[in-house]
Amino acid sequence: MRPQHWLYTIPLRLRSLLRRRQVEQELNEELEFHLQQKIEEGIVHGLSPKEAHYAAMRAMDGLELRKEEMRDMRRIRWLTDFFDDARYAVRTLRRTSGLTAFVVITLALGIGMTSGTFSIVDALIFRPYPVPHPSGVLTLASTTHDSNLDGFSYREYLDIREKTTSYDGVIANGDMQAVSFSGEPGATPRVRGGMMVSGNYFHVLGVEPRLGRGFREDEDQVPGRDAVVVLGPDFWQHEFASDPAVLGRTVRLNGREFTVIGVAPETFSGMLVFGHPDFYLPLAMARVFSTNFQKNFFEDRDDRELSVRARLKPGTTLEQAQNELAVLAKNFEREYPKVNHSRGAAVYTQFEARTREDLNWKFGVIFVILALAVLLVACTNVAGLLLSRARARTREIAVRLAIGAGRFRLIRLLLTESLMLASSGGLVGVAIGYGVVEWFQSFQNVIFMTDLPFSIPFRMDKRALLASLALSALSALLCGLAPALESTRLDLVNALKSADVDVPGRKRLWGRNVLVVAQVSASLMLLTASFLMVRGFQNTLREGTSFTKDHLLMVSFDPRLVQYNAAQTQQFYKLLAERVREAPGVESEALTQNIPLGTDDFDSIAFVPEGLEMPRDRENFNSTMDTVDEGYFATMGIPILHGRGFLASDTADAPRVAVVNEQFAKHYWPGGDAVGKHIRLESSAGTLVEILGVAQTIKYQSIFQRPIDFVYVPLAQHPIARMTLMLRSSGDPLQLVPSVRDVVRGLDPNLPMLHSMAYEDFYRNQAVNGPRIAMKLVGSMGVVGLLLAIAGLYGLVAYNVSRRTREIGIRIALGAASSDVLRLVMGKGLALVGMGTVIGLAMGFGLEQLMNSMLFNAGGVDIVAYVIVVPSLFLVTVLAAYLPARRATRIAPTQALRYE
Amino acid sequence: MSKPSDLVQGTLDLLLLKILALEPRNGWAISQRLKQISGDVLHVSDGSLYPALHKLEQEGWITAEWKPSENNRRAKFYSLTRLGRGHLEQEAANWSRLSSAISQVVQLEEA
Repeated sequence: MRPQHWLYTIPLRLRSLLRRRQVEQELNEELEFHLQQKIEEGIVHGLSPKEAHYAAMRAMDGLELRKEEMRDMRRIRWLTDFFDDARYAVRTLRRTSGLTAFVVITLALGIGMTSGTFSIVDALIFRPYPVPHPSGVLTLASTTHDSNLDGFSYREYLDIREKTTSYDGVIANGDMQAVSFSGEPGATPRVRGGMMVSGNYFHVLGVEPRLGRGFREDEDQVPGRDAVVVLGPDFWQHEFASDPAVLGRTVRLNGREFTVIGVAPETFSGMLVFGHPDFYLPLAMARVFSTNFQKNFFEDRDDRELSVRARLKPGTTLEQAQNELAVLAKNFEREYPKVNHSRGAAVYTQFEARTREDLNWKFGVIFVILALAVLLVACTNVAGLLLSRARARTREIAVRLAIGAGRFRLIRLLLTESLMLASSGGLVGVAIGYGVVEWFQSFQNVIFMTDLPFSIPFRMDKRALLASLALSALSALLCGLAPALESTRLDLVNALKSADVDVPGRKRLWGRNVLVVAQVSASLMLLTASFLMVRGFQNTLREGTSFTKDHLLMVSFDPRLVQYNAAQTQQFYKLLAERVREAPGVESEALTQNIPLGTDDFDSIAFVPEGLEMPRDRENFNSTMDTVDEGYFATMGIPILHGRGFLASDTADAPRVAVVNEQFAKHYWPGGDAVGKHIRLESSAGTLVEILGVAQTIKYQSIFQRPIDFVYVPLAQHPIARMTLMLRSSGDPLQLVPSVRDVVRGLDPNLPMLHSMAYEDFYRNQAVNGPRIAMKLVGSMGVVGLLLAIAGLYGLVAYNVSRRTREIGIRIALGAASSDVLRLVMGKGLALVGMGTVIGLAMGFGLEQLMNSMLFNAGGVDIVAYVIVVPSLFLVTVLAAYLPARRATRIAPTQALRYE
Repeated sequence: MSKPSDLVQGTLDLLLLKILALEPRNGWAISQRLKQISGDVLHVSDGSLYPALHKLEQEGWITAEWKPSENNRRAKFYSLTRLGRGHLEQEAANWSRLSSAISQVVQLEEA
């Protein structure tokens, strides 16, 4: 229609829509007028008033049909029909408000849990980077046998940038790390999270600064020359109250002066999943934050700290980029055999990178599967209820069909009803989903007990809401379609004769049977899965956690924050340990690079076990490691099973030594004793290290970890900047804090004490409560599923049986014994449950295998879960079948026959 | 009364529009006028009249107003819109082209 048309027609359409009754009335009036005129004309032509009336009516017959035609013309038919149906549906639903409420809540639980858990998976894997055209941003990684997502070194990054042609820009960034920050001269420095990035970082990503500018290419050229910093948006808001005058200000980072040149926009919270950096600095300033005393960041090709990303050039395929990088990696291998031996490289999309980066996504997927199972149970519940209700409306439906409603029209009517239910369920479900997400968010402080700006990214954002919408629509279809189809397939004559028809034909009951089976299997899978997870978690918690947790104070230090070099750092720790040992209340002292179940990355050590022949394709093996001092094993209560721990005599001048854990010893010297054996570092020609002792295997990085190889090296022989002091106290560990502060102040008043807390609190929050939250979620899903299943199963089976009351009455009237009838009726129910059980067990088994492979070593099939769950469901079904059946046999046959 | 001829829907629209172009009328008056002008040749049945009027209104070619009629009863009076006037001219031109073509064929001498 041309625009001028709209001026006339849109008001008309709107009027037809909003003022329907008036429009209808007007039409009637118009026709009435016409009728009157016709009658008058008849009278004028000599007919009597009565004759004239009849003549006029006859002439105008068929007008009702015409009215329908005209209604169609108004072209809003589908909309008005929908409103009509919706209004009717609301009326019907209101009449059975209890049932409606139950259905809505059921659906809401299913939808809410699914969308809530979806938001988790979304945040962990799918959410696109907060930059323009995020799909073009690829992740480049260095790969080895043991790891497929290692970083690159500075030199390697430069080579990649120069020598590849597949990309429109190659950027690099370090991890977010602790940086001491002070905004005003003379202010006490605080620890914030900074990230070093390449000069082209903002430009390649396409991030326009809110204020000022990003880095220039030339600012990242000369190491140490350009001390410039770009602030993160949240930090700018909190720290500088969004003051635009921050540009050009001087701030001190790790004691060095930096100039603020820009602020990142609010839309860019960083490329990390968990956390947003407070500020960004150029890679060239890396010396200020040098992370490793052993290595030179700018020169050593094996100081691999940089995450590299790149934008794919338009016209280049991922495959081409991958091949190019693989070739480059081979060149590195050839040119630098010592450091790049058997190292490849790979190019990953966002999805691939995210799923390799962090294993939490596996939890997320399991949650989503379980939530979907809850939704399935909910939907089958609702479908069963709707089906039963449709039965009761048989007469109404029959009448509608009889006066000419199309079958499709009726199906639309019934579907509108389930749509109403599903959308109400969806709305409430969104609220529930929001609650789930908020619940997770509330643990932010619990899980991230650090000073750095980590945060939980789960949100009910647009994408999660869209998911909820889709789920609601899907549920509506799922729940409503089968009942709608079945209840409109009526034999009209019979249906009109009696209000409740139930002719047990085979096809007729098929729908309900499927529902029972589906419900049993879904809820069984749900139950066994959650049962297994909870029990598995409990088992896992008990293993490898017998080290000391109580009466332990932990305080972290990072002398890089005050620009110490290696020698100064070693001196500091030596004096710290000596003096703190003398403090009152201190029973023993330890220094360690990583605390058990800590959140920092663990270093790894490359070695060749002596006396073992290396396979041809490998130069060395890798193991996770920790750097500790001589007090560590005693203070942490980690028993040395063979040999000894470290002593003060294991100094820098003494022969190199190490302590391994039991897993390591069993791995490389099975059946023998590892004590006295040697390993060589890096390669078979490397430094010789003697193994002094074998320590008990504990959990190192995560409570869900399988036992891994582990190596301890002494601090005196392996200087590390960032260490944590652990103090065993006789009383409350926090009481030791002032004494520690005094000692530290005596050594260097500018050195901050980081994260002082009781290790017990840390352990409980970090290692236990975190996973426990996950377990609670799973457990609650299991319980919800169980409750829904019980309610639905009972209702469904009981209803099925009560439908057969008439049949039961007939059988008894014909002489059948009660027991025979009971057996007949219950047999059917039990058969269905049996089928559902088999399917559910199979699915549960499959899910369990999946969980075992992904997470923990639950050690095979857990019988207890099945032993408890299966009989419970059986019991419920038996009860559900038995009670109504018994009632039916009790009723006098004549009454049963009369039953309608 | 002579037998009313069958009217094709398109031509009915044309006739209604033309009648309304002369003067705004209600539905009853339109059918009377049509009978009168055509010398009783063209009758439009009530079942066709109102749907046709409805359609013309929905298309935006005519617009309606409730007014008292001659005998003081409330009736719905239709009138032509500017858009309708344009459509009328177009349809009238089409009709004359069509009818002259048909006449030409029909008036051919038979061999």
